[in-house]
Amino acid sequence: MEYVVEVENLKKSFGRNHVLHGISLKIKRGESYVVIGGSGSGKSVLTKCILGLIKPTSGIVKINGERIAKLSQKEMFKTLLKCGVLYQGGALFDSLNVIDNISFGLVYGYGKSIKEAYKIAIEKLELVDLSEKVAKIFPSELSGGMQKRVALARAIATNPDIIFFDEPTTGLDPITSGIISELIVKCIKEMKMSALSITHDINSLKCISDTVGLLYQGNIIWEGSNQELTTTDNPYVKQFINGSTTGPFTNRAAR
Amino acid sequence: MVFLERVGRTFLTFLSSIGSATLFLAKSVLSGVAPPYYWKQIGKQAIQMGFFSLPVVGMTALFTGMAMTLQCYNGFSKFTAENAIPSIVMIAMTRELGPVLTALMVAGRLGASMTAEIGTMKITEQIDALTTLSVNSYKYLVFPRLLIGLLALPFLVFIDDVIGLFGGYLVGVYYLDFNAANYIRNTISAISIWDIASGLIKGAVFGFLICLMGCYQGYLSNRGAEGVGKATTKSVVSSSILILLLDCVLTFVLF
Ligand SMILES: Nc1ncnc2c1ncn2[C@@H]1O[C@H](COP(=O)(O)OP(=O)(O)OP(=O)(O)O)[C@@H](O)[C@H]1O
Ligand SMILES: [Mg+2]
Repeated sequence: MEYVVEVENLKKSFGRNHVLHGISLKIKRGESYVVIGGSGSGKSVLTKCILGLIKPTSGIVKINGERIAKLSQKEMFKTLLKCGVLYQGGALFDSLNVIDNISFGLVYGYGKSIKEAYKIAIEKLELVDLSEKVAKIFPSELSGGMQKRVALARAIATNPDIIFFDEPTTGLDPITSGIISELIVKCIKEMKMSALSITHDINSLKCISDTVGLLYQGNIIWEGSNQELTTTDNPYVKQFINGSTTGPFTNRAAR
Repeated sequence: MVFLERVGRTFLTFLSSIGSATLFLAKSVLSGVAPPYYWKQIGKQAIQMGFFSLPVVGMTALFTGMAMTLQCYNGFSKFTAENAIPSIVMIAMTRELGPVLTALMVAGRLGASMTAEIGTMKITEQIDALTTLSVNSYKYLVFPRLLIGLLALPFLVFIDDVIGLFGGYLVGVYYLDFNAANYIRNTISAISIWDIASGLIKGAVFGFLICLMGCYQGYLSNRGAEGVGKATTKSVVSSSILILLLDCVLTFVLF
């Protein structure tokens, strides 16, 4: 079986703050893996370690079978070109307007002409349910939910092999949230992309996931399929899905 | 003992920060000199630094030139050496005041905004986004600024020299009632290519330094608006002190 992402015994500490204690996970081609876990449990750090944006303390990370830490800079950028990333805060370039943001990877990464890139960018804009009217607007003038959708359009503009979604539906109304979840499913099913997503949105989770991993105190303490999510007896998963305040989760008590 | 320990630690921190700044510099220059070149970014910086700094620099120069002339007159008239005034103003402007004042004004105006802009990009994950869109952030953000810093400052220093001398002329002729033709003749005979060139060299060094500190501190910004604020202060203070220090060193070396 071919894996697009392989993580082995990944550890990351910031000084005395030990965030990840030895994570192992594998994502098959075409699979949608979703990481869930409490706020501050290290989900965003995990994604950034996989992408090589944060240097792990120890452990092995492979993307498309290649160890990203061992690659030359040129090869690293080539590998990253196959990855689309939606950042938790959007991370849109505020000096560029919406359409330049979306076409950035096409122009700078793939060297496409502006005209060609704009054409693709407009298509992606429609895909995330935004009209062409916002194309010339700057990110700071958009609402939070619109920024999220533009960021999503930018992440999928280059038709990457693997997409990383850090909370794609947070801050969206339920309907847009549903549209985005469907869009993610479409990317995976029709465009044959693989995905590593992070979400707190249970509806979206049930819609987009093939496999789910629960991150708790620096470890993936439970991993299972979409169906197992509702049938499992695991008390942690149950509490997380139901959002009950009583249960084994102690991260609030620990603070 | 505690005192020695603290001195030692400060010294080590100082050394390691010089080391990491040098590494930062090397990364930026090495990535920047290899094609492709981001002309759009370079042009944008040229306009920002070269053109939009003109009012600030011009105003500084005008007032300094005027004040210089007045002060010289107060001193020199005691020895009836008024004819030396144009040449003193010339030397002071081209060798010292031109480069130093221009650099200090630019450090306040541009060094600060550079750090704030890059720092904000850092904490809002925009720099990460550049990387995952396959663009080397050092090449895209830092190199254009360093290059233009190196080129724009000599230009600004030259403008500063000219306007400063003009300010001197205004005070000399219209306030102190010097003969205009005489004043101009004395000024022209005081022109020295080496004085002007040394000022331009200083300008280039200072410009490079301002942009290096501005970008470096931006990249070091910690999370949050407070981190960016602190980085901005650090950037302006450290480049101002370094400008004055290097001015002293360069004056020893060049004369
Ligand atoms: N650059 C950094 N420097 C120091 N500590 C960091 C850094 N980035 C993250 N952390 C720490 O790592 C821990 C995990 O952060 P992370 O952002 O991954 O949480 P998360 O699971 O994504 O939470 P959320 O669901 O709220 O986004 C936190 O304790 C945070 O303080
Ligand atoms: Mg997060």
